Amino acid sequence: MLLRGMLSSIALAAVMIAGPVAAQQGVDPGKYPNMAGQWIRVGPPGSFDNTKPPGRGQQAPLTPEYQAIFEANLAEVAVGKSGDDPVHTCIPEGMPRAMSLVLPMEVVITPNTTYILMEYLSMLRRIYTDGRSFPTDEEPSWMGYSIGKWIDEDGDGRFDVFEVETRNLKNPRTFDPSGLPLHKDAETVVKERFYLDKANPDILYDQITTFDHALTKPWTIVRTMRREKKPIWVESICSEGNVHVVIGGEHYMLGGDDLLIPFYKGQPAPDLKHFQQGAK
Amino acid sequence: MKSQVLALSVSAALLAMGGAALAHHSFAMFDAAHPIEISGTVKEFKFVSPHTLLTVTVKGADGVAKDWILEGGAPGLQVRDGMTSKSLKPGDEIVVTINPLHSGAEGGSYAPMQVKFKDGRPVVAPK
Repeated sequence: MLLRGMLSSIALAAVMIAGPVAAQQGVDPGKYPNMAGQWIRVGPPGSFDNTKPPGRGQQAPLTPEYQAIFEANLAEVAVGKSGDDPVHTCIPEGMPRAMSLVLPMEVVITPNTTYILMEYLSMLRRIYTDGRSFPTDEEPSWMGYSIGKWIDEDGDGRFDVFEVETRNLKNPRTFDPSGLPLHKDAETVVKERFYLDKANPDILYDQITTFDHALTKPWTIVRTMRREKKPIWVESICSEGNVHVVIGGEHYMLGGDDLLIPFYKGQPAPDLKHFQQGAK
Repeated sequence: MKSQVLALSVSAALLAMGGAALAHHSFAMFDAAHPIEISGTVKEFKFVSPHTLLTVTVKGADGVAKDWILEGGAPGLQVRDGMTSKSLKPGDEIVVTINPLHSGAEGGSYAPMQVKFKDGRPVVAPK
Protein backbone atom coordinates (compact mmCIF):
# COMPACT_ATOMS: atom_id res chain seq x y z
CA MET A 1 0.00 0.00 0.00
CA LEU A 2 2.82 2.32 0.99
CA LEU A 3 4.76 1.34 -2.13
CA ARG A 4 1.71 1.97 -4.31
CA GLY A 5 1.27 5.40 -2.73
CA MET A 6 4.92 6.22 -3.32
CA LEU A 7 4.71 5.09 -6.94
CA SER A 8 1.60 7.21 -7.48
CA SER A 9 3.35 10.23 -5.99
CA ILE A 10 6.40 9.66 -8.17
CA ALA A 11 4.19 9.26 -11.25
CA LEU A 12 2.29 12.45 -10.46
CA ALA A 13 5.51 14.35 -9.84
CA ALA A 14 6.86 13.05 -13.12
CA VAL A 15 3.91 14.24 -15.16
CA MET A 16 3.92 17.64 -13.43
CA ILE A 17 7.59 18.09 -14.28
CA ALA A 18 7.32 16.68 -17.80
CA GLY A 19 4.34 18.83 -18.69
CA PRO A 20 1.03 18.36 -20.39
CA VAL A 21 2.14 16.08 -23.20
CA ALA A 22 3.26 13.50 -20.69
CA ALA A 23 0.28 14.21 -18.47
CA GLN A 24 -1.85 11.55 -20.10
CA GLN A 25 0.72 8.92 -20.95
CA GLY A 26 -0.43 6.84 -18.03
CA VAL A 27 -3.56 5.97 -19.98
CA ASP A 28 -4.30 4.84 -23.51
CA PRO A 29 -4.49 8.09 -25.55
CA GLY A 30 -6.68 6.31 -28.07
CA LYS A 31 -9.30 5.68 -25.43
CA TYR A 32 -9.30 8.84 -23.32
CA PRO A 33 -10.09 12.39 -24.44
CA ASN A 34 -7.14 14.72 -24.62
CA MET A 35 -7.64 17.02 -21.65
CA ALA A 36 -3.94 17.75 -21.21
CA GLY A 37 -2.64 21.28 -20.84
CA GLN A 38 -3.67 24.43 -19.11
CA TRP A 39 -7.35 25.32 -18.95
CA ILE A 40 -8.38 28.93 -18.45
CA ARG A 41 -11.79 30.20 -17.45
CA VAL A 42 -13.90 31.67 -20.24
CA GLY A 43 -15.86 34.70 -19.07
CA PRO A 44 -15.48 36.93 -16.04
CA PRO A 45 -14.56 35.78 -12.54
CA GLY A 46 -16.59 36.70 -9.52
CA SER A 47 -19.81 34.70 -9.81
CA PHE A 48 -20.71 31.02 -9.80
CA ASP A 49 -22.67 31.12 -13.05
CA ASN A 50 -20.59 33.61 -14.99
CA THR A 51 -23.09 33.72 -17.83
CA LYS A 52 -25.38 35.69 -15.49
CA PRO A 53 -24.97 38.85 -13.44
CA PRO A 54 -23.61 38.41 -9.90
CA GLY A 55 -25.61 38.53 -6.67
CA ARG A 56 -29.38 38.27 -7.12
CA GLY A 57 -28.75 38.03 -10.85
CA GLN A 58 -27.53 34.50 -10.36
CA GLN A 59 -31.15 33.45 -9.79
CA ALA A 60 -30.05 30.65 -7.50
CA PRO A 61 -33.04 28.55 -6.40
CA LEU A 62 -32.58 29.32 -2.71
CA THR A 63 -35.08 28.25 -0.08
CA PRO A 64 -36.87 31.15 1.63
CA GLU A 65 -34.66 30.67 4.70
CA TYR A 66 -31.46 30.89 2.69
CA GLN A 67 -32.75 33.66 0.47
CA ALA A 68 -33.25 35.63 3.71
CA ILE A 69 -29.68 34.82 4.76
CA PHE A 70 -28.43 35.98 1.39
CA GLU A 71 -30.49 39.17 1.52
CA ALA A 72 -29.12 39.96 4.99
CA ASN A 73 -25.62 39.50 3.60
CA LEU A 74 -26.33 41.79 0.67
CA ALA A 75 -27.73 44.39 3.06
CA GLU A 76 -24.47 44.31 5.04
CA VAL A 77 -22.46 44.66 1.86
CA ALA A 78 -24.60 47.64 0.88
CA VAL A 79 -23.43 49.54 3.97
CA GLY A 80 -19.79 48.77 3.33
CA LYS A 81 -19.26 45.57 5.25
CA SER A 82 -17.33 42.69 3.73
CA GLY A 83 -20.13 40.15 3.47
CA ASP A 84 -20.02 36.40 3.86
CA ASP A 85 -16.96 35.27 1.97
CA PRO A 86 -14.74 32.85 3.91
CA VAL A 87 -11.99 33.09 1.29
CA HIS A 88 -10.98 36.45 2.79
CA THR A 89 -9.06 34.63 5.47
CA CYS A 90 -7.47 32.12 3.09
CA ILE A 91 -10.10 29.43 3.54
CA PRO A 92 -10.00 27.50 0.24
CA GLU A 93 -12.98 27.99 -2.02
CA GLY A 94 -13.94 24.32 -1.90
CA MET A 95 -16.49 22.66 -4.12
CA PRO A 96 -18.33 23.61 -6.21
CA ARG A 97 -16.93 27.18 -6.15
CA ALA A 98 -13.39 26.06 -6.98
CA MET A 99 -14.54 25.18 -10.49
CA SER A 100 -15.18 28.89 -11.10
CA LEU A 101 -11.47 28.89 -11.89
CA VAL A 102 -10.24 32.27 -10.74
CA LEU A 103 -6.90 31.04 -12.11
CA PRO A 104 -6.16 28.16 -14.52
CA MET A 105 -6.14 24.43 -13.87
CA GLU A 106 -4.45 21.35 -15.26
CA VAL A 107 -6.02 17.92 -15.67
CA VAL A 108 -3.81 14.88 -15.10
CA ILE A 109 -5.38 11.55 -16.01
CA THR A 110 -3.93 8.35 -14.59
CA PRO A 111 -5.50 4.88 -14.68
CA ASN A 112 -7.02 4.97 -11.20
CA THR A 113 -7.18 8.66 -10.34
CA THR A 114 -7.66 11.89 -12.24
CA TYR A 115 -6.15 14.98 -10.67
CA ILE A 116 -7.22 18.57 -11.18
CA LEU A 117 -4.39 20.88 -10.19
CA MET A 118 -5.59 24.43 -9.61
CA GLU A 119 -3.26 27.37 -9.62
CA TYR A 120 -5.49 29.46 -7.35
CA LEU A 121 -4.74 28.72 -3.68
CA SER A 122 -2.90 25.57 -4.86
CA MET A 123 -6.17 23.65 -4.59
CA LEU A 124 -6.05 19.97 -5.59
CA ARG A 125 -8.92 17.73 -6.63
CA ARG A 126 -8.29 13.99 -6.47
CA ILE A 127 -10.96 12.05 -8.36
CA TYR A 128 -10.87 8.29 -7.92
CA THR A 129 -11.77 6.17 -10.95
CA ASP A 130 -10.87 2.75 -9.56
CA GLY A 131 -14.43 1.68 -8.86
CA ARG A 132 -14.43 2.37 -5.15
CA SER A 133 -17.46 3.51 -3.14
CA PHE A 134 -17.71 6.59 -0.95
CA PRO A 135 -16.13 5.98 2.46
CA THR A 136 -18.22 6.33 5.58
CA ASP A 137 -15.51 7.42 7.96
CA GLU A 138 -13.53 10.01 5.98
CA GLU A 139 -13.01 13.45 7.54
CA PRO A 140 -14.74 16.16 5.49
CA SER A 141 -12.68 18.55 3.39
CA TRP A 142 -13.25 21.67 1.32
CA MET A 143 -12.49 19.88 -1.94
CA GLY A 144 -14.52 16.86 -0.81
CA TYR A 145 -14.22 13.22 -1.75
CA SER A 146 -14.66 12.67 -5.47
CA ILE A 147 -15.40 9.53 -7.44
CA GLY A 148 -15.37 9.64 -11.22
CA LYS A 149 -16.38 7.47 -14.12
CA TRP A 150 -15.32 7.72 -17.74
CA ILE A 151 -18.22 7.29 -20.15
CA ASP A 152 -18.33 6.33 -23.83
CA GLU A 153 -21.65 7.97 -24.65
CA ASP A 154 -21.61 7.58 -28.40
CA GLY A 155 -20.30 4.02 -28.36
CA ASP A 156 -17.28 4.67 -30.56
CA GLY A 157 -14.89 2.93 -28.18
CA ARG A 158 -13.50 6.18 -26.86
CA PHE A 159 -14.45 7.96 -23.64
CA ASP A 160 -16.06 11.33 -24.22
CA VAL A 161 -17.57 12.29 -20.86
CA PHE A 162 -16.08 12.27 -17.38
CA GLU A 163 -18.77 12.06 -14.71
CA VAL A 164 -17.73 13.05 -11.21
CA GLU A 165 -19.61 13.01 -7.93
CA THR A 166 -18.26 14.87 -4.91
CA ARG A 167 -19.42 14.45 -1.32
CA ASN A 168 -18.15 14.85 2.23
CA LEU A 169 -17.56 18.58 2.03
CA LYS A 170 -16.54 20.94 4.78
CA ASN A 171 -17.79 24.40 5.71
CA PRO A 172 -17.57 27.35 5.53
CA ARG A 173 -18.22 27.57 1.79
CA THR A 174 -20.22 29.86 -0.45
CA PHE A 175 -21.07 29.57 -4.13
CA ASP A 176 -19.16 32.74 -4.94
CA PRO A 177 -17.67 35.94 -3.46
CA SER A 178 -21.08 37.60 -3.16
CA GLY A 179 -21.85 35.32 -0.21
CA LEU A 180 -24.40 33.22 -2.10
CA PRO A 181 -24.90 30.60 0.61
CA LEU A 182 -24.70 26.84 0.82
CA HIS A 183 -26.45 25.08 3.70
CA LYS A 184 -24.78 25.08 7.09
CA ASP A 185 -25.25 21.28 7.31
CA ALA A 186 -22.46 20.87 4.69
CA GLU A 187 -24.34 17.98 3.06
CA THR A 188 -23.71 19.35 -0.41
CA VAL A 189 -23.42 16.85 -3.26
CA VAL A 190 -21.89 18.02 -6.52
CA LYS A 191 -22.32 16.10 -9.77
CA GLU A 192 -20.30 17.11 -12.80
CA ARG A 193 -19.96 16.17 -16.43
CA PHE A 194 -16.71 17.18 -18.12
CA TYR A 195 -16.62 17.02 -21.91
CA LEU A 196 -14.73 18.58 -24.80
CA ASP A 197 -16.51 20.64 -27.41
CA LYS A 198 -17.14 18.33 -30.37
CA ALA A 199 -16.21 21.04 -32.88
CA ASN A 200 -13.32 22.53 -30.93
CA PRO A 201 -11.29 20.20 -28.68
CA ASP A 202 -9.59 23.23 -27.10
CA ILE A 203 -12.86 24.06 -25.34
CA LEU A 204 -13.75 22.12 -22.19
CA TYR A 205 -17.13 22.23 -20.46
CA ASP A 206 -17.97 21.39 -16.88
CA GLN A 207 -21.67 20.94 -16.29
CA ILE A 208 -22.09 21.34 -12.54
CA THR A 209 -25.22 20.29 -10.68
CA THR A 210 -25.32 21.18 -7.00
CA PHE A 211 -27.61 19.38 -4.59
CA ASP A 212 -27.83 21.31 -1.32
CA HIS A 213 -30.43 21.86 1.36
CA ALA A 214 -30.15 25.64 0.84
CA LEU A 215 -31.72 25.06 -2.59
CA THR A 216 -35.31 24.23 -3.49
CA LYS A 217 -34.08 22.07 -6.37
CA PRO A 218 -30.75 20.99 -7.90
CA TRP A 219 -28.98 23.92 -9.55
CA THR A 220 -27.22 23.23 -12.84
CA ILE A 221 -24.78 25.57 -14.51
CA VAL A 222 -22.13 25.09 -17.21
CA ARG A 223 -18.62 26.49 -16.88
CA THR A 224 -16.51 26.87 -20.01
CA MET A 225 -12.72 26.68 -20.23
CA ARG A 226 -10.27 27.15 -23.07
CA ARG A 227 -6.92 25.41 -23.57
CA GLU A 228 -4.00 27.83 -23.35
CA LYS A 229 -1.31 27.03 -25.91
CA LYS A 230 1.44 29.00 -24.16
CA PRO A 231 0.76 28.40 -20.49
CA ILE A 232 2.43 30.14 -17.63
CA TRP A 233 1.94 29.08 -14.03
CA VAL A 234 2.13 31.37 -11.02
CA GLU A 235 2.42 30.10 -7.46
CA SER A 236 -0.55 31.00 -5.24
CA ILE A 237 0.10 30.67 -1.51
CA CYS A 238 -2.64 32.61 0.25
CA SER A 239 -0.91 33.19 3.58
CA GLU A 240 1.99 34.95 1.85
CA GLY A 241 0.48 38.40 1.88
CA ASN A 242 -3.09 38.26 3.12
CA VAL A 243 -4.03 41.53 4.81
CA HIS A 244 -7.54 40.53 5.82
CA VAL A 245 -8.10 39.81 9.49
CA VAL A 246 -11.22 38.73 11.36
CA ILE A 247 -11.28 39.55 15.10
CA GLY A 248 -14.34 38.97 17.22
CA GLY A 249 -16.42 38.49 14.10
CA GLU A 250 -15.37 41.85 12.68
CA HIS A 251 -13.41 42.03 9.45
CA TYR A 252 -10.44 44.41 9.36
CA MET A 253 -7.56 45.05 7.01
CA LEU A 254 -3.89 45.71 7.68
CA GLY A 255 -2.95 49.19 6.50
CA GLY A 256 0.18 50.58 4.93
CA ASP A 257 1.73 50.83 8.38
CA ASP A 258 0.85 47.18 9.19
CA LEU A 259 -1.77 48.29 11.72
CA LEU A 260 -5.48 47.56 11.54
CA ILE A 261 -7.69 49.89 9.55
CA PRO A 262 -11.51 49.82 9.55
CA PHE A 263 -13.64 48.56 6.69
CA TYR A 264 -16.67 50.71 7.22
CA LYS A 265 -17.54 53.98 8.88
CA GLY A 266 -18.10 53.63 12.60
CA GLN A 267 -16.57 50.14 12.81
CA PRO A 268 -15.63 49.42 16.45
CA ALA A 269 -12.00 48.72 17.30
CA PRO A 270 -11.15 45.15 18.40
CA ASP A 271 -11.68 44.26 22.05
CA LEU A 272 -8.25 44.39 23.71
CA LYS A 273 -9.33 43.12 27.13
CA HIS A 274 -6.61 40.48 27.13
CA PHE A 275 -3.90 43.11 26.80
CA GLN A 276 -2.59 45.21 29.66
CA GLN A 277 -3.89 48.68 28.93
CA GLY A 278 -1.19 51.27 28.40
CA ALA A 279 1.57 48.63 28.11
CA LYS A 280 4.16 49.17 25.44
CA MET B 1 10.75 59.14 2.65
CA LYS B 2 11.44 60.75 -0.67
CA SER B 3 11.14 64.49 -0.88
CA GLN B 4 9.13 64.37 -4.03
CA VAL B 5 6.04 63.04 -2.34
CA LEU B 6 3.20 64.42 -4.33
CA ALA B 7 0.15 66.20 -3.17
CA LEU B 8 -2.93 64.18 -2.52
CA SER B 9 -5.29 64.55 -5.37
CA VAL B 10 -8.68 63.17 -4.49
CA SER B 11 -11.39 63.77 -6.97
CA ALA B 12 -14.46 62.05 -8.17
CA ALA B 13 -13.19 59.95 -11.00
CA LEU B 14 -15.34 59.01 -13.90
CA LEU B 15 -13.38 55.93 -14.77
CA ALA B 16 -14.92 52.62 -13.89
CA MET B 17 -12.46 50.34 -12.16
CA GLY B 18 -11.45 47.07 -13.71
CA GLY B 19 -13.55 45.07 -11.31
CA ALA B 20 -13.27 41.82 -13.18
CA ALA B 21 -9.57 41.67 -12.54
CA LEU B 22 -10.15 42.02 -8.82
CA ALA B 23 -13.06 39.81 -8.09
CA HIS B 24 -11.70 36.65 -6.60
CA HIS B 25 -12.76 37.13 -3.04
CA SER B 26 -15.39 39.69 -2.27
CA PHE B 27 -14.26 43.28 -2.73
CA ALA B 28 -17.41 44.59 -1.08
CA MET B 29 -15.39 46.61 1.41
CA PHE B 30 -14.18 48.83 -1.43
CA ASP B 31 -16.48 51.48 -2.83
CA ALA B 32 -16.67 50.71 -6.54
CA ALA B 33 -19.38 53.36 -7.01
CA HIS B 34 -17.12 56.21 -5.93
CA PRO B 35 -13.59 55.74 -7.30
CA ILE B 36 -11.00 58.37 -6.43
CA GLU B 37 -7.63 59.32 -7.84
CA ILE B 38 -4.54 59.48 -5.65
CA SER B 39 -1.01 60.60 -6.47
CA GLY B 40 2.07 59.66 -4.58
CA THR B 41 5.30 57.72 -4.35
CA VAL B 42 5.52 53.95 -4.34
CA LYS B 43 6.76 52.90 -0.92
CA GLU B 44 6.47 49.18 -1.53
CA PHE B 45 5.13 46.86 -4.20
CA LYS B 46 4.56 43.35 -2.92
CA PHE B 47 3.78 40.87 -5.67
CA VAL B 48 2.26 38.38 -3.29
CA SER B 49 -0.69 36.03 -2.96
CA PRO B 50 -3.59 36.18 -2.51
CA HIS B 51 -3.45 39.78 -3.79
CA THR B 52 -0.69 42.10 -4.81
CA LEU B 53 -0.20 44.98 -2.38
CA LEU B 54 0.81 48.44 -3.45
CA THR B 55 1.72 50.90 -0.72
CA VAL B 56 1.76 54.51 -1.85
CA THR B 57 2.90 57.46 0.26
CA VAL B 58 0.50 60.31 -0.34
CA LYS B 59 0.75 63.85 0.98
CA GLY B 60 -2.61 65.26 1.99
CA ALA B 61 -3.89 68.80 1.65
CA ASP B 62 -2.76 69.37 5.24
CA GLY B 63 0.80 68.47 4.28
CA VAL B 64 0.77 65.24 6.25
CA ALA B 65 2.06 62.19 4.36
CA LYS B 66 0.21 58.93 4.85
CA ASP B 67 0.73 55.46 3.49
CA TRP B 68 -2.18 54.10 1.47
CA ILE B 69 -2.42 50.35 1.02
CA LEU B 70 -3.96 49.23 -2.25
CA GLU B 71 -5.04 45.67 -2.87
CA GLY B 72 -4.84 44.39 -6.43
CA GLY B 73 -5.62 41.15 -8.18
CA ALA B 74 -3.94 37.82 -7.64
CA PRO B 75 -0.39 37.70 -9.02
CA GLY B 76 -1.57 35.07 -11.50
CA LEU B 77 -4.21 37.43 -12.86
CA GLN B 78 -1.91 40.43 -13.01
CA VAL B 79 0.92 38.56 -14.74
CA ARG B 80 -1.52 37.60 -17.47
CA ASP B 81 -2.52 41.28 -17.70
CA GLY B 82 1.13 42.22 -18.24
CA MET B 83 2.03 43.39 -14.73
CA THR B 84 4.96 41.73 -12.97
CA SER B 85 6.91 42.18 -9.76
CA LYS B 86 9.24 44.49 -11.68
CA SER B 87 6.53 46.81 -13.02
CA LEU B 88 6.81 49.16 -10.04
CA LYS B 89 9.59 49.90 -7.58
CA PRO B 90 9.98 52.08 -4.50
CA GLY B 91 10.36 55.71 -5.47
CA ASP B 92 8.21 55.53 -8.58
CA GLU B 93 5.84 58.46 -8.75
CA ILE B 94 2.39 57.32 -9.80
CA VAL B 95 -1.20 58.37 -10.22
CA VAL B 96 -3.77 55.68 -9.63
CA THR B 97 -7.55 55.52 -9.67
CA ILE B 98 -8.76 53.35 -6.82
CA ASN B 99 -11.92 52.09 -5.22
CA PRO B 100 -11.47 53.42 -1.67
CA LEU B 101 -12.42 51.67 1.55
CA HIS B 102 -15.95 52.56 2.65
CA SER B 103 -14.51 53.58 6.01
CA GLY B 104 -12.50 56.44 4.56
CA ALA B 105 -9.28 54.93 5.91
CA GLU B 106 -6.17 54.99 3.76
CA GLY B 107 -6.86 51.88 1.74
CA GLY B 108 -8.49 50.72 -1.44
CA SER B 109 -8.28 48.42 -4.41
CA TYR B 110 -6.54 49.00 -7.72
CA ALA B 111 -6.37 47.42 -11.15
CA PRO B 112 -3.16 47.39 -13.23
CA MET B 113 -4.77 49.33 -16.07
CA GLN B 114 -5.58 52.18 -13.66
CA VAL B 115 -1.99 52.85 -12.64
CA LYS B 116 0.05 55.46 -14.48
CA PHE B 117 3.43 57.03 -13.93
CA LYS B 118 3.40 60.73 -13.12
CA ASP B 119 4.35 61.55 -16.73
CA GLY B 120 1.24 59.79 -17.97
CA ARG B 121 2.80 56.55 -19.17
CA PRO B 122 0.65 53.53 -18.28
CA VAL B 123 2.36 50.94 -16.09
CA VAL B 124 0.71 48.22 -18.14
CA ALA B 125 0.27 48.67 -21.85
CA PRO B 126 -3.40 48.47 -22.89
CA LYS B 127 -4.28 45.25 -24.67
